[in-house]
Amino acid sequence: MAEEIYFEDIHVGDEMPVLVKGPVQKLQHVMYAGASGDFNPLHTDDDFAKAVGMKDGVISHGMLIMGFVGQAMTSWIPKKYVKRFGVRFAGMTRPGNTITITGKVTDKRLEAGENLISCELVASDENGDVKVTGHFDAALPSKG
Amino acid sequence: MADKAKVGREYAPVTWEVERGKIAEMAKAIGDPNPIYLDREAAIKQGYKDTPAPPTFLTVPMMWSSSMPAVINDLNINFMMVLHGEEEYEYYREIYPGDKLTGAPKVVSIEEKTNKSGRKMDMVTIEIVYTDEKGEKVARSRSLLVERK
Repeated sequence: MAEEIYFEDIHVGDEMPVLVKGPVQKLQHVMYAGASGDFNPLHTDDDFAKAVGMKDGVISHGMLIMGFVGQAMTSWIPKKYVKRFGVRFAGMTRPGNTITITGKVTDKRLEAGENLISCELVASDENGDVKVTGHFDAALPSKG
Repeated sequence: MADKAKVGREYAPVTWEVERGKIAEMAKAIGDPNPIYLDREAAIKQGYKDTPAPPTFLTVPMMWSSSMPAVINDLNINFMMVLHGEEEYEYYREIYPGDKLTGAPKVVSIEEKTNKSGRKMDMVTIEIVYTDEKGEKVARSRSLLVERK
């Protein structure tokens, strides 16, 4: 659970608590398809995935991995403070992959009366292959 | 190949009522145990009005309404060759159960790029501004779709 966190407590270079997710299971793809409404069979049907060139079968929804990154972010910085959250999808995730999400504070500043922090994010698998890179901005309360 | 004549086109808006069960389902599918998504009392204790939607929830209205697949189809993008390149959200307020969100996908840009191995790709950026029933802005999403050619 995210605890109260103040602008003064965060410094450039601080690292986000690491979150490890998985191993990803095919069942999770089915759950995510139902939750999100993304029923592209590339994520749930091995025969279909192989027919379109994925020799090992289904791949994960990119948005599921973004969801993992969002979980890491809001386990640290409460959801209500997040102003902007974006990712770039860099590689495909497959069932069996264990995804580790790390992050680092890159900037903090006062802007338009808000105490803003910027962080960069990376999600990679057990081999170190990067799946997602991302960033978020949050406006934090001040002790002052 | 993405139809460049459609840059600037805005598609029919989708209206989506946010349900508490859908918020919990999304959190469970991601495997996020944060109680704010599952338990109204826990959310209120942490300063929310109700169970807020998780950060990537805005994928739900577009996919469940089939709006995004329809846009891809209208742009003449080959569904088998399209990859999701980037996704970004800007949040203006929390999304809660009972909110009626309305958003219309708009084609912001279509640019051809060549990757390191010399392969040509169309980079299609689609933006959606979501408003509530009072017409106030709730969030903005920006999606980059990459069509390999």
